Amino acid sequence: MASVTLSGLRKEYGDLTAVDGLSLDVDDGELLCLLGPSGCGKSTTLRMLGGLETPTDGDVHIGGEPVTDQPPYERNTSMVFQSWALFPHKTVLENVAFGLKMDGVSEDERRERAREMLDVVEMGGFEDHDPTDLSGGQKQRVALARSLAIEPDVLLLDEPLSNLDKRLREQMQLELRNIHDAVETTFVHVTHDQNEAFTLADSIAIMNDGQIEQVGAPREVYDDPVSLFIEEFLGDTNLIEATVTETTETGVVADVALGTAVELPTGDASVAVGDDLTVSFRPEELDVERADAAADGSPSITGEITDVLYRGSTVRFYVESAGEYLFFEQSVGADSDFAVGDAVTVSWDPADLLAFAADGDRVGGGGA
Amino acid sequence: MSEVELTRERVEDALFRAGYWLLFGIVMLPIVVVFATSFQQGEYLTFPPEGVSLRWYAQFFASAEWLSAVRDSVVIGVGAAVLSTALGVTGSLAVQRSDSTLARVLPPVILLPLLLPPVVIGLTLLIYFNRVGFGSTYLTIVIAHALWATPLVFFVMQSVFARFDWDLRDAGMDLGARPSRVFYHVVLPNVRSGVVISAVVAFIVSLQEFIMALFLKSYEVQTVPVLAWTSLQSSLTPLVSVVSAFLVGVSILGVLVSAALMNIEWLAEQL
Repeated sequence: MASVTLSGLRKEYGDLTAVDGLSLDVDDGELLCLLGPSGCGKSTTLRMLGGLETPTDGDVHIGGEPVTDQPPYERNTSMVFQSWALFPHKTVLENVAFGLKMDGVSEDERRERAREMLDVVEMGGFEDHDPTDLSGGQKQRVALARSLAIEPDVLLLDEPLSNLDKRLREQMQLELRNIHDAVETTFVHVTHDQNEAFTLADSIAIMNDGQIEQVGAPREVYDDPVSLFIEEFLGDTNLIEATVTETTETGVVADVALGTAVELPTGDASVAVGDDLTVSFRPEELDVERADAAADGSPSITGEITDVLYRGSTVRFYVESAGEYLFFEQSVGADSDFAVGDAVTVSWDPADLLAFAADGDRVGGGGA
Repeated sequence: MSEVELTRERVEDALFRAGYWLLFGIVMLPIVVVFATSFQQGEYLTFPPEGVSLRWYAQFFASAEWLSAVRDSVVIGVGAAVLSTALGVTGSLAVQRSDSTLARVLPPVILLPLLLPPVVIGLTLLIYFNRVGFGSTYLTIVIAHALWATPLVFFVMQSVFARFDWDLRDAGMDLGARPSRVFYHVVLPNVRSGVVISAVVAFIVSLQEFIMALFLKSYEVQTVPVLAWTSLQSSLTPLVSVVSAFLVGVSILGVLVSAALMNIEWLAEQL
């Protein structure tokens, strides 16, 4: 168990900057998900944490100790690789016992401890199997056992679930959560899958372009994204262009491309008349009724349903207004059954809208 | 498919077969001639041979001079194989996954000895070793042969390492193994067949090499091809075919033994 501190971490490969001045704190025993799109530098960051890459600049501290210049075999971190990287010429038991063997643990003891670890990941009985004969999920469990067997201060997980099918992945997410609770080790888990991050994490750090955009509890990050990048990355939403027409005491009024003026409670953020904004209308915050239903006074637009997409358990409806489209979703079986051509009124609470300036930064406070 | 297309396919098939049988024949012809003439009965090397006998084999195995040449060849071959495998494998390992200047420069540089005519290398080494007073003929020929065999080992290993999963190395280091232990416990078991093949290639290269061995020979130490050359100068007897057959035989044996070793290993893994 140990905390992790990354400060001003940089990694350059020739002209390419993979990680660009990244600072991050992970608490002792925390499960942190490093979330970001492909190529954002999250795996490189993890490899620098494990000592498999040397930072161009910056420092890594584990448990308060500087480890920046320590090679991987001297650091008490352990990585679960995306490819699992099980030693093909060793049995499952030998794989799990490998780290202990390198530590000089006696043969009997390391076999004993490797067996226990295999039981933890529910792979008891596979001791003498060849790792190449195992399924993806089984390899994943063995890789996890191998890394946990050395009782690392920090367990590093480099998208180990990304090669599994959806059902198995979701099952492993829950198990990983349980294992984390049981071993009380600090976990740093890299993923590009926001659902996985929300399921697993105590804390999510979202990366973009080699830097951390935002760190926080999953709920906090979702409710209060600091930038348009995060808003787009965390889930499907309606992003509509708007232009500020008026500033008020509580915020601004903006002309939204949906053909209506919208009040945005942006507080006293530095926004001027004429500024361009992007406004996020999250589908789950939209109220939709037939156009002839009585209005309740909330701001709204009226439009026509143009497309209905069945997406398994949900149905997605597209509403057109002034040439822009908004979508909202309903569970299959909800009794509204809107159809193409229906006129509907879409309304919202202005407090649920999120506004972003032209540079992508969030303007003022919003939902929460 | 139409009749015409079928016929055409058959013709193409036959041509293809003829092509590779021809290739096989061309490759095998010298070996057949060598083996056939080695059983010659008469005094002179003729083809097709007249009569069948083992007299030249008997003479070969009774000759202290030839047997000592065989011993020299094997000692030098093993030495060259060990030296060039050690250099080639570690050299290739060193440039893997590295973008340093040395890693970029080493592969073309390591090829250079193969581009120099062996006459030049042989003569240069002879002068050099004489000047520095390097005594052992074994060692000088081993070094000369390693100059040739190391690039071959290096490039065989380059392609072997290209197929190696480097995450395994990272996993090994991550689990607390120092680089030397990672090499022994993780890398080597996965590239062992490549290393064995490299060593066999190096041994065969050394066994067959003639020109450098000729320059660097001494009265006490000379390899089989060198002795074959000197004895050929006095008489063209079928003994030289026996010697050639012997060299081919040893090479084939080397390949078979290494294949067997790898199979035993494979077999042991299955049990």
